[in-house]
Amino acid sequence: MSQFEPKIVAFVCNWCTYAGADLAGTSRTNYESNVRIIRFPCTGRIDFMLLLKAFQNGADGIIVSGCHPNDCHYTSGNFHARRRWIVFKSLLDFMGFPTERITFSWVSAAEGSKWAELVDDVTDKIRHLGPFEDFNKLDYSLINQLNDEGLTE
Amino acid sequence: MMKALQNKVTELFENGTITLMIGFRGVLDKFAIPVFITEVSQADQLIWTPACLNNLSVYLHKSEVKQVGKIGIIGNAGTLRSLLQLISENQLKELELTILTINEQNEVIVFASTEELEVYVQANCPAYNPEDQALVDKLNAMTREERWKYWTGQLSACVKCYACRAVCPMCYCSVCTVECNQPQWIKLSSETEGNLEWHIMRAMHLAGRCINCGECGRICPAGIPLQLLTVQMNQEIERAFGGKTGFSAKSGYALNTFKTEDKETFIR
Repeated sequence: MSQFEPKIVAFVCNWCTYAGADLAGTSRTNYESNVRIIRFPCTGRIDFMLLLKAFQNGADGIIVSGCHPNDCHYTSGNFHARRRWIVFKSLLDFMGFPTERITFSWVSAAEGSKWAELVDDVTDKIRHLGPFEDFNKLDYSLINQLNDEGLTE
Repeated sequence: MMKALQNKVTELFENGTITLMIGFRGVLDKFAIPVFITEVSQADQLIWTPACLNNLSVYLHKSEVKQVGKIGIIGNAGTLRSLLQLISENQLKELELTILTINEQNEVIVFASTEELEVYVQANCPAYNPEDQALVDKLNAMTREERWKYWTGQLSACVKCYACRAVCPMCYCSVCTVECNQPQWIKLSSETEGNLEWHIMRAMHLAGRCINCGECGRICPAGIPLQLLTVQMNQEIERAFGGKTGFSAKSGYALNTFKTEDKETFIR
């Protein structure tokens, strides 16, 4: 069986991280090819529902990244996003969702090497965590329960 | 006490302060029955018992109620706090509201101003139900896997009746995300993954706005303790950004503002 290759979806802002990833590319930096980048106008645009949809559609890990605080192209989009992530992460933690699969980061347009390092780190981490199956398992929760109680053996 | 309430409402009708009174008229099983009184002769139907737990402020969003304009409403602790939150969200602007409550000494109180309501709420209405608090603490002490099992187990029973939405005074959007089908954000069928999504979305949209009246959990036909999600959210917001909801008519909304010095530990 071939080695598990994680699917990483990166939600990045147009002005900083996308440009940072571009810099990593034009600098010919080698980094993991597991990442699929989705460009947004701003981190403030990244709705929490999009993250859930990515997991539903087969993502094993997610990177959310944008401009450093005070560097937002729209002045305050990333500050709003930061509050939303604090709350969202707390909710997912409370519900028992494996939040280690979501990595939040600030990567500026000049930080091509930080981007490459981030993608390598995340890919490595998700490779160790294995594929994300928690959603797929849900539909069989009844069977799982029976298994847990030793009723199917 | 009930006689005092009925007399007070009669008086309010007679002097033209209100043309509609929203209250309770009886108890069926363990649920109190809300009543809309439009004539002074019906005022003797009004009751007030410990079973009057419903949050009546949810009716203030109905267009047929809004048309009346001069509305009297009787509120328990949760209702009074949601009224304050709705005022802070500019939802009750066009209404002439007369807010009543019955205090611990069984006296009927008519609030003359929003400030008076704020003072009463701050002195008499607790932010969290101690039972909810105990459950939230218990869940937070569990491991992640145990919490996942708990919530997926609970939410697998959800039938997506959206009673939690209908009963919530803060869920007043005329078009909800669950009705958006281009794209279909939330799956229509009732299966755990989509149920989880709906409840995550609901909790996120109520985070920092919920006043923890506990109606969503009380009304849930599947018996899911939904109020725990928003209790946890509000406590997280209180911890991270400060401020409680439903204690002031100017409390604001934590997620549509920010501070440059907001602290987090997980963004690298």
